[in-house]
Amino acid sequence: MWQFPWRYKESIAFVAGFVFIGFMLQITVGKFDFYLLQAPVNLILGGAVIAFLILLSFARKSAFYQWISGVPLSVTLIATLLVLGLIMGLTPQFARLDPHDKDIFTVLGFRQVTSSWPFVLIYFLTLISLGSLIVRRLVAFRKQDYAFYFNHIGLWILLFAAGLGAADIKRYVMHVREGEVEWRVYSENKDVLELPVAIQLNDFEMEEYPPKLTIIDRESGESQPKNKPDYFQIDEKRPNGTLDKWDIRLEEYIHQAVRNSDSTYQAVPMPGSSPAAKVSARNKQTGEMRKGWVCGGNMAQLYMTLPLDSQYCIVMTQPEPKRFLSDIDVFMEDGSEQHAVLEVNKPLRIGSWTIYQYGYDNQAGRMSTYSSMELVYDPWLYPVYAGIILLSVGSICLLWSGNKKRKAEDDLG
Amino acid sequence: MTWDEFLWFAIPAMICWISAGALVYKCKKTFIVEGLMIAGIAIFATFIIGLWIGQERPPLRTIGETRLWYSFFLATVGYFTYKHWKYKWLLSFSSLVACVFVCVNIFKPEIHSTNLMPALQSYWFVPHVTVYILSYAMLGAATIAAIIQLVNLKKDRLDDNLYKLMDNVVYIGFGFLILGMLMGAVWAKEAWGHYWSWDPKETWAFITSAGYLVYIHMRLQKYHVKFVLWMLPIAFVLLMITWIGVNYLPAAQNSIHVYSN
Ligand code: HEM
Repeated sequence: MWQFPWRYKESIAFVAGFVFIGFMLQITVGKFDFYLLQAPVNLILGGAVIAFLILLSFARKSAFYQWISGVPLSVTLIATLLVLGLIMGLTPQFARLDPHDKDIFTVLGFRQVTSSWPFVLIYFLTLISLGSLIVRRLVAFRKQDYAFYFNHIGLWILLFAAGLGAADIKRYVMHVREGEVEWRVYSENKDVLELPVAIQLNDFEMEEYPPKLTIIDRESGESQPKNKPDYFQIDEKRPNGTLDKWDIRLEEYIHQAVRNSDSTYQAVPMPGSSPAAKVSARNKQTGEMRKGWVCGGNMAQLYMTLPLDSQYCIVMTQPEPKRFLSDIDVFMEDGSEQHAVLEVNKPLRIGSWTIYQYGYDNQAGRMSTYSSMELVYDPWLYPVYAGIILLSVGSICLLWSGNKKRKAEDDLG
Repeated sequence: MTWDEFLWFAIPAMICWISAGALVYKCKKTFIVEGLMIAGIAIFATFIIGLWIGQERPPLRTIGETRLWYSFFLATVGYFTYKHWKYKWLLSFSSLVACVFVCVNIFKPEIHSTNLMPALQSYWFVPHVTVYILSYAMLGAATIAAIIQLVNLKKDRLDDNLYKLMDNVVYIGFGFLILGMLMGAVWAKEAWGHYWSWDPKETWAFITSAGYLVYIHMRLQKYHVKFVLWMLPIAFVLLMITWIGVNYLPAAQNSIHVYSN
């Protein structure tokens, strides 16, 4: 062992050494604190990694360089990440831990693998190994190796930016009342902070799916049948269905209904309205008929049920949200201003900030008077996306060329 | 057009695909096979476009509607990959799986359960899921090849052609796997604020790809032949855990990927 050329034995011993050091650090100084890497430390460290790779490249003819940029070490590193991943995938992970928890898994960092020393060290070694490989192959550039370059350079940039950038990411939640301007936010630790970004909420709107009907036991409130409750999804195109022992027919449906004085409903599109349905039910065994209005109600209106007998009645579930959106104006510190309509899956990006539709007053639903937005700050997002784009081009190369070329220079027997 | 007309398109499309998938082994005239395949795809596409116009919105909302796209993409991508790689089983396999999804839509439509939660209403949903399905299919095929090769190894008769096929299929499958993952990352950034949060499903996707990377890189050298071959079945088990198993793991109780009710 330790005679060049180094292969798996040496690689495994080397990586195992680092994992061991990682665990020792974990036990003695605790988890790796990503906030130590906050800018400008991560920029300096990133620069140092690149400088180191360039310096190392002068030794690229050495057996050591061949090893550090070679297959056995790479495979060992990837396999080690796999094992650390397995620990992460099998032990529940926690964002915050009780500092007095002396459980062995906690002490070894198994409950927060991504900020444990072994993970951070192996991640770092992978960056060095992959980086030295890229340098070696770039010096001996061959354009027919395009797939190799896209995959490895893309992945390297992605690992570099995602790893170092993790320290700079900040997430805040802001609650804005309709018609008001807000710049105070809650941080992840629930501290109130003031940001250089202010948001004015012009309007919050929400659309809901038609609700479902179900039969409940009036005493226990449980849906029937007990073990496997039936739900009838209201859909005007499909008016017929069954619930437990009853055939159901949807006679009329009003999505935004308001109750009349005679306990019928009429369509009135306004925030306080609620879905209502006129339903007839026929008992499959006895043929008994029931007919009447059912309404789920909300903060502004009472609910209405359709009694079937002394024990059971038909009720309407609370409607599920279909879309919710906030019409906002964003004011930045530098005086710039932007108008946008935020929606789930349609965030607004301004520089390094991304603003998301986050939530609303769940109790009030459509009547919510405020909208919650999440503001995420990530100055490393563009390099990450560059990595993602290169890597996806690399994947498409893999799809297209497969494993066509068999390398003559490699020692595949 | 509405779902009421579905059968009129689904059955002819399935007949085309299944006969293409069967004739590819028997029939020397490739234009017949390709013609059938394309005809099936065209018929199916007509229905999707018709439904799009008929409903006045892209058919991307309900589970049944997304299944329409699986079938369409499986047939299309299966056809193009077959044309490029000439693997006959690939054509039959993708035809078959496309038809399975069509049948599910016929027998268990769920076409009216429109209640897709807002976070899932994204144009990334369909490609993200479809690409994964394709990758699973490919990597499954590679696993079978690896097991055959392990038997060959026992008899000391390694099959070079089988190796070539295995490596190709792994590269293609892995390409799809990474594409699916990257699309998921971009989608997660749009929907949840971060491109990678080590959610249990993401963690397992990472584990799975590490498994295939070990295979891909070890295959570059001649050492540890048996271990390398075993890597494919092992990675496939990891993949199955990612796909199906994660929902049952205690570590995954709060995963955003467990869309249970
Ligand atoms: C998405 C991820 C990756 C893909 C798709 C990928 C794919 C490939 C392919 C197809 C080759 C052979 C091509 C050629 O030699 O021209 C290769 C070679 C190689 N890869 Fe990767 N790889 C990935 C990640 C990694 C990582 C993370 C490492 C290191 C930690 C690595 C290290 C190597 C090494 C050392 C070689 C041998 C090249 C040589 O010695 O010249 N790869 N990779």
